[in-house]
Amino acid sequence: MMKGVIRLNMNEVPYPPPQRIIEAAQRGLSNLNRYTDLEHLEYLRRLLANYAGVSRKHVILSAGSNLLLREVIHLFSKGRKVVMISPSFLPIVEVTKQFAIKSVSIRLSPPDYDLNPEMLMKTVKEPTLILIDNPNNPTGKILLDRETVESLTQNTDIFTVIDEAYYEFSQVTFANLVHDRPNLAITRTMDKAFSLAGARVGYIIAGESFLNAFSSYDPFLPQCSLYAAIEALNNLSYMKRNVRRIIEERERVLRKLDKLGAHVYSSSANFFLMKIELPGIAKRIRDMGVLVSDLSGQLSPGFIRVSVGTPEENDVFLDSYTKILEEDDSRRLFSKNHA
Amino acid sequence: MQEKLGLIVNPVAGMGGSVGLKGTDGKMYKKALELNATPVTPKRTRDLLSHIRNRYRIELLVPPGRMGEEYVAGLNIPFMVIGMVEEETSAEDTKRMAAEMLRKGVRLLIFVGGDGTARDVYDAIGLSLPVVAVPAGVKVFSSVFAVSAKAAAEMVDAFLEGINVTEEEVLDIDEEAFRRDRLASRLYGYLLVPNVREFLQAGKEASNVSKPSVQSKKDIAEYVVKDMNQGILYLLGPGTTVKSIADEVGVTKTLLGIDAIFEGELVGTDLNEKGILELLERYKRRKMIVTPIGGNGFIFGRGSKQFTPKVIKQVGRENIIVVGTKDKLSRLDCLRVDTGDLELDKLLHGSLEVTVGNKEEMLMEVR
Repeated sequence: MMKGVIRLNMNEVPYPPPQRIIEAAQRGLSNLNRYTDLEHLEYLRRLLANYAGVSRKHVILSAGSNLLLREVIHLFSKGRKVVMISPSFLPIVEVTKQFAIKSVSIRLSPPDYDLNPEMLMKTVKEPTLILIDNPNNPTGKILLDRETVESLTQNTDIFTVIDEAYYEFSQVTFANLVHDRPNLAITRTMDKAFSLAGARVGYIIAGESFLNAFSSYDPFLPQCSLYAAIEALNNLSYMKRNVRRIIEERERVLRKLDKLGAHVYSSSANFFLMKIELPGIAKRIRDMGVLVSDLSGQLSPGFIRVSVGTPEENDVFLDSYTKILEEDDSRRLFSKNHA
Repeated sequence: MQEKLGLIVNPVAGMGGSVGLKGTDGKMYKKALELNATPVTPKRTRDLLSHIRNRYRIELLVPPGRMGEEYVAGLNIPFMVIGMVEEETSAEDTKRMAAEMLRKGVRLLIFVGGDGTARDVYDAIGLSLPVVAVPAGVKVFSSVFAVSAKAAAEMVDAFLEGINVTEEEVLDIDEEAFRRDRLASRLYGYLLVPNVREFLQAGKEASNVSKPSVQSKKDIAEYVVKDMNQGILYLLGPGTTVKSIADEVGVTKTLLGIDAIFEGELVGTDLNEKGILELLERYKRRKMIVTPIGGNGFIFGRGSKQFTPKVIKQVGRENIIVVGTKDKLSRLDCLRVDTGDLELDKLLHGSLEVTVGNKEEMLMEVR
């Protein structure tokens, strides 16, 4: 039995970064009396540009991609309609309200939770800022294809921002389009696949129009995060191993749940969506020591989102779920005996 | 200390289903018996009671015999029998017992039945007491119902563990029309149910659907009213969200009927199709404001049958304003229409923008 609470609710990667990255962060800590030096910031930009396959000028750094998304909204929603997806966890609705003409969320519908490109194109007849997470959180679905992104970005009155926080798991990216599409930007993070959620290193790969607006943006990163990110990008093997292990585990858990008769959805990220017809299921699983994300505020009743943990953590989750099913079976038997 | 809860079982609910009667309202119960229909409520009731985790914390008040007492005996749950009922029970018994439970000070009333039972309970207690509704009827379209007996047990547990309550809809289904495979319904009222959605955990990714429902409706109303134009007739459908718009305008709207306003004045109350058509003759520029029914998402056909195909066609798809709180919409997969006119349904399919707040809309598929 594992001790403590198992966190399968925040889409973190369960494996800590290798020792060399922790040591790099510690080197950053030893310079705490100094501001972050520009030389290292530029070096990180170059590494990220190489990693993303774009030229360095297109990369802007930030302490977490949420800050960049907020900045984009501040800069680009004024006088525009803002289009988003529902469900989504992009933390932007309240910010949007202050600046945009109005915000429109496109509701994804069952059974597939796909984004209908026609519905999307119909909403962008006027100056618009579009914000879409791809893959979508919490469905894990890929919502956009290249054709749709190219159509959207043909209109220069429309600014498109695609959040690729889970790119390393999905391997779907539109980053290389930013060279030709000034009104396209991609936000990414090192929180997930790089095991650096605590370091909060985010970046935006931005087209020319965004770059102009961001020219006075001050990229701020703490020394320890900066050093850890540089070290992480200098040797990608652990990140690739993380991704491989998580995908293997995700598929194993999905197969097991499918055998148990659960309603699960395929995913292109390090989490998956699941529907269980029992109100309060997230709480019941939590009471057994496993935190999962209750989506009852986002989707119809019964949905939870489960992050993929270590094999041991996933087994505890599967055991908890099985136990709840067994409890229900024994209650059913109790009921039958009294009928 | 034991929590005092009430339990009322409609023993004939659901009996018409297996013999194809689509309900046991009125005389249909006898017909169901003639066709050897078997009761379905005993199993549902036992399912419910056996799944309540906090059984040791409750004391049940139950009517005698098949309306409650029969199912609790032998379950190790303390109970007290109240009142008297005849062998053949009726809607009046449900109403009488529910009112009695309210007088006896129960904290929560559990009932087992269908839409008809929900209406009887609503007639007796309104919003004075929270309920948990266990689905057992042939017609269970009202969103007050839990999805299953097990889910109802979870709702009872959640209530005992301190969860708050929320309003859900009770529908009035026309059983005669339903027998002819036509679903005609209207919004009948609201009951309070435990808000199981409160199981949301706190933290970074807590939902943004946290605004209290009253404030959300006010935001929607302010936004819609700001956008209202002179020279346009507004037909307001049923429901609390639409009523909040009338409140914002400063007129008194019927909660469940269709009312009309023109330039800030009420020009029609609780209108039927004829009344609406007369107004449409007089006012050439018009819009209608509707809200989806919680749980199933119908904007036309169930809940506002006065908006007939003729009315909807005259007003036009482009003049339909849909409003709803994010809390309600987050539980819907899509909007639905069932006007009884297939051509019109087809015309309404596609997508519609729903106003969910101040300058906030949700684009939803219409099926």
